[in-house]
Amino acid sequence: MTGDAKLIVQGLSHHYPDEYTGESVHALQDINLQIHDNEFVTIVGPSGCGKTTFLNIIAGLLPYREGRAMVDGVEIKGPGPDRGVVFQEHAILPWRTVNRNIGHGLELRKVPKAEREKRVQEYIDLVGLSGFEERYPHELSGGMKQRVAVARTLCADPVIMLMDEPFAAVDAQTRITLQDELNRVVMATRRTILFITHSVEEAAFLGDRCIVFSRRPGQIKTEIKIDIPREERLWKDMVNNPKFTDARDEILSLVRSEVTNDDNS
Amino acid sequence: MTTVDVAPHRRKSLRKTITDSRAIQLVILLIGVLVLWAIISATIDRPDRYLPSPLTTLFSSVDLLEKGVLISFYTDTLTRLVIGSAVGIALGIPFGLLLGLNRNIADMFYPLMNFFQSVSGIAIFPVIVIWFGNSNTTVMIVILYTSFFPIAFNVLSGVRSVPMRYISAARTLGASRFQIIKDVLLPGAMPSVAIGSRLSIGFAWRAVIAGEMLAGQAGLGNMIFAGQELDNTAQILLGMMLIGLTWIMLDHYLLRPLESDTIERWGLVQK
Repeated sequence: MTGDAKLIVQGLSHHYPDEYTGESVHALQDINLQIHDNEFVTIVGPSGCGKTTFLNIIAGLLPYREGRAMVDGVEIKGPGPDRGVVFQEHAILPWRTVNRNIGHGLELRKVPKAEREKRVQEYIDLVGLSGFEERYPHELSGGMKQRVAVARTLCADPVIMLMDEPFAAVDAQTRITLQDELNRVVMATRRTILFITHSVEEAAFLGDRCIVFSRRPGQIKTEIKIDIPREERLWKDMVNNPKFTDARDEILSLVRSEVTNDDNS
Repeated sequence: MTTVDVAPHRRKSLRKTITDSRAIQLVILLIGVLVLWAIISATIDRPDRYLPSPLTTLFSSVDLLEKGVLISFYTDTLTRLVIGSAVGIALGIPFGLLLGLNRNIADMFYPLMNFFQSVSGIAIFPVIVIWFGNSNTTVMIVILYTSFFPIAFNVLSGVRSVPMRYISAARTLGASRFQIIKDVLLPGAMPSVAIGSRLSIGFAWRAVIAGEMLAGQAGLGNMIFAGQELDNTAQILLGMMLIGLTWIMLDHYLLRPLESDTIERWGLVQK
């Protein structure tokens, strides 16, 4: 049953030579994963577990040789606009205004200006950046920069959206706001998302499914379903929702056992 | 939207106030220098030989203006400077870009560039004179040569210093190689283009003055040199003043506005 799978990963392993010693590093081991249409999947794991490596392979930024990875049935062979990436921080272009950053993907595709402006405005309104269209990134706060980054990826209309710890660099208060907003945006636009994080809470709060990675070589340790409708996923409600707290605690103990293993070795 | 937290940004009026106070500071500074100059000149023996007063220097310009040579000296020198450094920069930018983009080409040319960069414009002067004689062409070649390397080296390092994440972001948006150059690498290298251009024009200034002196071509450099031979110190000082003031004007009316509209506006450099 791979009919509506947007992303299919089969037997993906990855080795790379260490930059200094030249020794082969085993980063990923036999990853098998499917992400279906309109599904929100989070990946959580201890730092250095290869989760960002995995995302970079799916993004096409890192070549792979062992296993297969397909988006919409097409083998991944490099970056492309079918996989939009929201990076950890500061990846919007400083020399482009908010408007022109968000419309960049459409501009690269030579979408006519009138249509481009219409769609850019839609996403500016969606992420709440009205009034900031002509600002440059250095004039925005960290949270607003990440809103621009999310809007830029959405506006390019990818098949799957890849998010690499996008809220890790903002302060705790802003992070909560951005997580609530992301839920709202996902409801409004129906997206397929792969979201990498080291935050257990974030993984449980956002994901329909949460995949726990083991420490290196990263492999899928467990997968946990979090069966909460997206409309109910608001921070003020979630802290009292047993489905959320149970999932969070389970994920937390799984991740901690990985970290503890690491300490013992 | 609940949180609208914006970093403070410039206000037009504030900016204007700052510009005004800067202008006042500059005027005060200039007056101070002129007064100091006049005092020293008035207290030494034989000021006409060692340090003519500001007024004497000014009168020497009237004298040269009456003869009709000052303006032609000035425009000759400025034309050489502008054309020479413009061509040097226009060649240096694509060359630096090419080297910044292609590791193999860079490795191939880098030792050669390093070699020639160390051989200054003055050092190549004699051989250029042997090839092209004491001519305007000789001066132009030396200016071009001198202004080429600073911009080329800076563009090279500027392109390489563009953060990888900007390039990755553009690639995942579907940018082609050409689009990455145009939308990411060129604007990202702008701070280095600005620094390189300043250095190139600064070096070109030195080359044009030295070149005119050595090749005996009419211009400000030659005027300064002739001032020494004619024992006309005021003429030397006048040439120095014109060079310095012209640089300030170039900086204020050409380079600064270019920088404030680009790299400062983008927050890539401190104001």
